[in-house]
Amino acid sequence: MNSKARVISDVMRSTILALAWTMGWCTLAAAAPPPPAAAPVPAAAAPKADAAPAAAEEPSAPGTPAAGATTDSPPSDFKTLDQEVQGMKKEVIDLNKDLFVLQEELLFPANTQVAVYVSMDVGAFFALDSVTLKIDNKEVKNYLYTAREAEALLKGGVQEIYLGNLKVGKHELVAFFAGKGPVERAYKRGATIIFDKGVGAKYLELKITDRVSKHQPEFKIKDWD
Amino acid sequence: MSALLVAAAFSAVPTLVGKQAPDFALHSMDGKNRRLSEFRGQVVLVNFWARWAGDSRQEMPALDRINTTYNRAGLVVLGVSVDEDWRRAREFADAMKVGYPILFDTTADIGRNYLLRKMPMTILVDRSGVVRYSSAGFKSGDELAYLDEIRELLRE
Repeated sequence: MNSKARVISDVMRSTILALAWTMGWCTLAAAAPPPPAAAPVPAAAAPKADAAPAAAEEPSAPGTPAAGATTDSPPSDFKTLDQEVQGMKKEVIDLNKDLFVLQEELLFPANTQVAVYVSMDVGAFFALDSVTLKIDNKEVKNYLYTAREAEALLKGGVQEIYLGNLKVGKHELVAFFAGKGPVERAYKRGATIIFDKGVGAKYLELKITDRVSKHQPEFKIKDWD
Repeated sequence: MSALLVAAAFSAVPTLVGKQAPDFALHSMDGKNRRLSEFRGQVVLVNFWARWAGDSRQEMPALDRINTTYNRAGLVVLGVSVDEDWRRAREFADAMKVGYPILFDTTADIGRNYLLRKMPMTILVDRSGVVRYSSAGFKSGDELAYLDEIRELLRE
């Protein structure tokens, strides 16, 4: 019974080490209790007198039955271990999700939350370079766009440019858009909105569109109530 | 004793080595905006320089040679001017005739994030965006140390 338990524990240990090695968990391998295979090089090389008995002891203690036991049991052992690893991964993902939600709730409580998004349509008359946001006359964001980011917006992407907190009441949002307008001219325009911040979260969208009739870009702020 | 104190003082200098490189987006001399995080997957050498730092004049040609040699191997060199007057910084960069992108940080925000203490300053960022090497000041021969680090990072 005792030797059987030792055999199982040895199989488990070697499987964990193998898994750790394949998954690149070097730290886990290093922290595993007595890892002869993962032991640091100096330790293995330094006291040969110690290393030799240890190496000899390992296989002799479980003895030859270990070889016999491993041939019988691996599938079920591997299966349970794999399930355990999968379970642990899921727990980590769940924990990460919970922490994210908690962080959102603590840092940006829904009651005071204000989120500002940027979207762009067509863009034939305007190449976006930067957006500056002012809330109640205080600059809260200045975002510089790379060609890749501007392209992503043109493809229909929506960017969350700002997430913050505001108390209930009236507030003013001013957005400055800088870039290149028609005929490659430097172009800077602003858009303003006075919005009422209620109890719930507030979502605002900065929309950049083309006004074909005037051959000019158009900048609007939409309040998503 | 004094040597120990000096060593302790140097070891106490805050450094970003081992930490995630603070992201930034800046205007560049060629008119394009560049964001550091968009070079994830490549080894990036960020060189903070200033017109008034005499060593920058020596370092930039050395970095240009490194860029020419290792660009194809996946190295990106970015020169970041911390001069408040970007027009004069631009004139200086024009005169240096370097082939790598020159960016302008006129607000000094990025310099603060990168804990600049002496100019010029060179930082090496690995493929996963972690600062792996930092060097303040420049003297002839320092580029050899950069090369050792760059080769190491490119091999990873």
